[in-house]
Amino acid sequence: MNIGVQKQIPFITLIGPPNSGKTTLFNYISGKNFKTVNYPGATVEYSIAKILKKFNFEANLLDSPGIISLFPESLDEKVSIDAIYNHPKFGSPDVVIITVDASQLSRHLLLVHQMIEAKFNVIIALTMIDMLNKKGLDISIPDLELYIGCKIIKVDGRIGKGVDELLEAVKKDIANPKSNRKTNPILSGHNNQSATLIELFKRIEDIERKVLIPYSLSNNDIDLTAANDKLKSLSNLLNIKSAKQLDPMTLKIDKVILHKYWGLAVFFIIMSTIFTSIFWLASPIMSIIDDAFGFLASHAFSILGNTWYGDFVSNGIITGVGSVLIFVPQILILFLILGILEDTGYLARGAMLIDKPLSKIGLNGRSFVPMLSGFACAIPAMLAARTIPNKKERLLTIFIIPLMSCSARLPVYALLIAFLFPAGKAWLAGIFLTFIYLFSTTTAVVVAALLNKFRSKLFSDKDRSSFILELPSYRKPKFSVVLNNAYHSSKLYFKKAGPIILGFSMILWFLTYFPNTTPKINGSGLSQDKIIQIQKSERLASSYASDLGKFIEPVMRPLGLDWRVGVSLISAFTAREVFVSSLALIFKVTERGQPLQNSIIEAMRKATIEGSGQKLFTTSTIIGLIVFFIFALQCLSTIAVSKKETGGWKIPLIQLFVFTTSAYIFAFLAVNGLKLIGIP
Amino acid sequence: MRSAAELKYGEKGMIDFIDESHPSARRILEVGFTPGQEIQLISKSIFSDPMAYSIRGTLIAIRKSEAECIKIL
Ligand SMILES: Nc1nc2c(ncn2[C@@H]2O[C@H](COP(=O)(O)OP(=O)(O)O)[C@@H](O)[C@H]2O)c(=O)[nH]1
Ligand SMILES: [Mg+2]
Repeated sequence: MNIGVQKQIPFITLIGPPNSGKTTLFNYISGKNFKTVNYPGATVEYSIAKILKKFNFEANLLDSPGIISLFPESLDEKVSIDAIYNHPKFGSPDVVIITVDASQLSRHLLLVHQMIEAKFNVIIALTMIDMLNKKGLDISIPDLELYIGCKIIKVDGRIGKGVDELLEAVKKDIANPKSNRKTNPILSGHNNQSATLIELFKRIEDIERKVLIPYSLSNNDIDLTAANDKLKSLSNLLNIKSAKQLDPMTLKIDKVILHKYWGLAVFFIIMSTIFTSIFWLASPIMSIIDDAFGFLASHAFSILGNTWYGDFVSNGIITGVGSVLIFVPQILILFLILGILEDTGYLARGAMLIDKPLSKIGLNGRSFVPMLSGFACAIPAMLAARTIPNKKERLLTIFIIPLMSCSARLPVYALLIAFLFPAGKAWLAGIFLTFIYLFSTTTAVVVAALLNKFRSKLFSDKDRSSFILELPSYRKPKFSVVLNNAYHSSKLYFKKAGPIILGFSMILWFLTYFPNTTPKINGSGLSQDKIIQIQKSERLASSYASDLGKFIEPVMRPLGLDWRVGVSLISAFTAREVFVSSLALIFKVTERGQPLQNSIIEAMRKATIEGSGQKLFTTSTIIGLIVFFIFALQCLSTIAVSKKETGGWKIPLIQLFVFTTSAYIFAFLAVNGLKLIGIP
Repeated sequence: MRSAAELKYGEKGMIDFIDESHPSARRILEVGFTPGQEIQLISKSIFSDPMAYSIRGTLIAIRKSEAECIKIL
């Protein structure tokens, strides 16, 4: 296939069973920062990177989703297997590094055997040695190499132990003329018979018995060959026994967490703690940022004066960007808590606990992790659904993910909730936010249940449903890892949302400032501040944005809102956070010495429906807006990813239509229902 | 003949064979439930489904219907 004479750098692929430490190793070698999670199925897409310069080895390295065998059951496994047989760009790999969890030898060697049988050129990276050592055991590498027939190196990707040696072995292997050619692996279909599998496991167990040695022995370099055979086999029997011991701590914790009844209670407590804490943990940091931006905006305005560029800098840029940046702490905290949950090993338990209830509505226990990551962002969440083997369940999961309350909604809710509750009552706001999360999750569940009734029409597939999931041992979350992950997720979030927010702030500023930049008003007898104030509202009322808004006005009226909110809602279709910055911009909130968020809320309280003097934002209209955001699919990237993951426009278009129409209908019902019962 | 689904909390059993008529049979084998292995029921979720077994030094959760095709001695 690769007949070209062009010199290619070596292509190395990293595969292995789920949770065996592939991504950790990949990150160390490539200097990347992909998320490592104590959950089988955290990686669902392959990623390629060059090996870091410091290792002095020019090659491409590919990380892949975990696989148990060469026969895929789900999409994420298929991604890996397609990539090792024939990567679209790099062909088949020169060397495959297989990560094998040393404490799971008898299970993880299955893949190694299949790979060798399929004629891949493999090197084993033996991970989690520390876990095995804790059980008082070690592995005799020379023996294991002898029985398996390939190079084996102990590594710990978290600290880089053994990595140099591993790369040295890879280099040597590639330099070896025998393996210099790309291998042509066999697509082996013959050995997935149960009899073959059972036979293979027997062979592996035999190997395991021979290579497991007591840790103390391997440590003190006592020559095992000197011990007599009988003693050896006796000690090996004991070795196997202790290797098969479950982590006692994990068993103890699971007594509670996986308790038949307590388990579910703990589950709900964990989930609601997460969302309640977002508010009160973040609020002190938020007010600092808030003050800072308010100060910046008003100073920029007084330095640059009442000119178009003064207005552009203070309102277009500082207010627009600042109004969203205020929510950094909340988003960071959300990512932090999710990260702690991911690193402990709880995710797999959560999936197990709600498999039964979810399967009743056409989902799967494996939908839990995608749904939970939907609280951060719908995009990775939809990708995470690849781990669900059953197509119907996977599509249904993807369908409801936009209803999970993503972090882009957080700034919107935070602002609207802050309007509803007086400052200093962060706990009340926290409880209300938790309620919103509960409500949107319930909605997602109800939608899934409804769709499940008609699913034969929507998704034509008759795959069997299954749930087989390894529950990893609990681990104390490594704070540095969690922090690092949270930092990178937040950075990614702002890299994505930042330019959109900035861009839209500028466009909106333009639309609200022009064409009538210096409206003529009769300013006699009025203070300077008052004049500026009147000029502002005059300018806005005759701006392009206002012209545009008049179209939307009739649609907004039933919700008790006007064109200004309408413009903000429409701009929120690019990304939901834009709603906040455009509200800030349209209601022109720079008042001297006011913190930013407070001043947005101040301006919102003062705002009246034009020509009527009636208050624009009231309890009912704010709740209506919240309801709108709960349902509406206002995110272009989500639609794009949904199209890609479902393989067509059908599902994303149905999502867009159904969610956005119901957003409008339910917001209408909420506003007018509340008004009916006397809530303004 | 008992199946793994009939084990009591903490009870151990030796796998005799896997009922291959079940569509998940191959995956059950692949994750390590093979004849001759000792398994122990560690926990059940609410509604007794799924169930988590200790097998080959790890904990694996499977649905009740899947546990039913693991026959034990
Ligand atoms: N104790 C121990 N933990 C490790 C080691 N290598 C990776 N881990 C942890 O194992 C978990 C799974 O790692 P990850 O790289 O995501 O595995 P993957 O699913 O194969 O990509 C993470 O929480 C890592 O921090 C190791 O050598 N020893
Ligand atoms: Mg990974």
